[in-house]
Amino acid sequence: MAEINLKKILSQQANRDAANDILVLLGETVCIQDTDGTVIMGAADDAAVKHAIQLSNETIGWVCGSDSAGTAASLIASLAAGERERRALARETLERYKELALLYRFIEKIALCLNLNEVAKLVIEETRKNIANTSASVMLLNQRTRNLEIIAAAGKEYSPKTTLKPGVGIGIAGTVFFTGKAEIVNNTSSDSRYVKGANRTASLMCAPLKTRDKVIGVINVGSEKPTVYTAANLRLLNMLTAQAALVIENAVFHENKLKEERVKSNLERYIAPQVVKAIMESKANIVFTPESRRITVLFSDIRGFTNTCEKQPPEKIVEQLNEYFTHMVDVIFTHGGTLNKFVGDMIVALFGAPAKSDTSEKQAIEAAIGMQKRLQSLPSAWIRNNFHTGIGINAGEVVVGNIGSPHHMDYTAIGDEMNIGSRLQSMAQGGQILVSRSVYEATKTLFSFKEIGSVQVKGKNTSVEVFEVLYQ
Amino acid sequence: MQTILIVDDEPHIRLLLEQSLEELENQGVVLLTAGDGKQALDIIKKEKPNLVFLDIMIPRMNGFDVCRALKDDAATKDIPVILLTAKGQEFDRQKGSEAGADLYITKPFDPDEVLARARELLRMSE
Repeated sequence: MAEINLKKILSQQANRDAANDILVLLGETVCIQDTDGTVIMGAADDAAVKHAIQLSNETIGWVCGSDSAGTAASLIASLAAGERERRALARETLERYKELALLYRFIEKIALCLNLNEVAKLVIEETRKNIANTSASVMLLNQRTRNLEIIAAAGKEYSPKTTLKPGVGIGIAGTVFFTGKAEIVNNTSSDSRYVKGANRTASLMCAPLKTRDKVIGVINVGSEKPTVYTAANLRLLNMLTAQAALVIENAVFHENKLKEERVKSNLERYIAPQVVKAIMESKANIVFTPESRRITVLFSDIRGFTNTCEKQPPEKIVEQLNEYFTHMVDVIFTHGGTLNKFVGDMIVALFGAPAKSDTSEKQAIEAAIGMQKRLQSLPSAWIRNNFHTGIGINAGEVVVGNIGSPHHMDYTAIGDEMNIGSRLQSMAQGGQILVSRSVYEATKTLFSFKEIGSVQVKGKNTSVEVFEVLYQ
Repeated sequence: MQTILIVDDEPHIRLLLEQSLEELENQGVVLLTAGDGKQALDIIKKEKPNLVFLDIMIPRMNGFDVCRALKDDAATKDIPVILLTAKGQEFDRQKGSEAGADLYITKPFDPDEVLARARELLRMSE
């Protein structure tokens, strides 16, 4: 690389002093000359003998003086050797330092980035700045399709997807994804794994985006023209990807968190916040796909609502209903219930779904008592005087889960036991809470009951035993 | 012949700066170095360098004081000074401009930036 220039070496203060000392020590007319004869130090003497200053068999200058000045030549040569070593070390160190400085700025730039595509773009930008290329891309694993998909690219286009399904060519990116080891392929045409894209890539490097324990994607850098990528290039790419992976993981986490927040706020409209929290935290116990399960269902309806409506303008009714619903849903949530739906003035609530519960009957009765009591203590005198609700509660096996068309799904429950609950409600007078035998059996030690008798339910052969919950 | 003075108490940082400026050196620019503030000021007064790279945290007179002394002396006040500061020390900037520094480069510095800035300032002082 840089030639060893005697003049440059002797411009260093320490070297200059040392050389001076040597010349003084010799105590005669001596001078140091450049390779082309220019005097650098000392005074020239026409009769002087020229002694070569040699460094690795190369003459880098001359010492002119008596025969004994040869000692000076070898001493200065060793100064030069020392300087050359120092320079080589400095050059090496500077390369490392450059990488360090680059990494430092890169981290500073991306550390606070929470947008996935932005992070990917920054990675590509930095990579392209520091490694010769005609294209670069960031691929991430799509968990659902099991494909590596490009989320950001620059330069000539890549094939947008690399499938990781067995039996299909997974390409070099796929291989790197599975092995987790970065690769240099300087000649793609001799690599059987290489999958041809729209544009030819003669040479490429591919490095895995590795988080703590898994590979989440890869970064590709390629060149149209054959290029020799070096181990140093790969080292740099690895360094960048290691940092990028952490930030990308962070960004993905953030994106998922946002998605989760959206799902959560949707859920919170019909499920108690604490239940939503349980759902978000313990995914294992919660199923939204329809399944048969024993739950408790609560139906509540305003007696004589149609008549009540006639006494008021519709806007007024809606206003009163909204207030009434708000309070009732609050009570249901307080007891861990799930709001299934409003049908007109009727409220349908589920207990033990979607989060399973062993005490769903008890929760439902407590909720029912709470609803009746809350209704009596509402601030609006008009509601207190005009809204009287009958509540029916039943427990049994129903099919519960997300039901509907892909365009509109409801989390709901279906089955005969639902119909029985509805029937109990329709029998209940204002202020009354009626339950079936199954609910009574599960809670008879906890509440006071009065046996009402049996009723026939539409479409069922057997009759249903009815109990009234007594509350103060 | 132009000269650049590099002032830092850490030998390896001096070496890295020297190496960053190798291209200029090859073009005949002489690089001088100093390890503390007093030594730096002595060289500045004697050699009148065309540019000074000056670290702030140096023994025997810190970088701000050296810079101020340089700018207060009519004989040296036109010498441009590039302060080397540690990352994210905004307060330093304030003190640096009060001391009359021309530019800042933060550590870890970008060797390419060091070279580019040195080149610019040398051209201006020609």
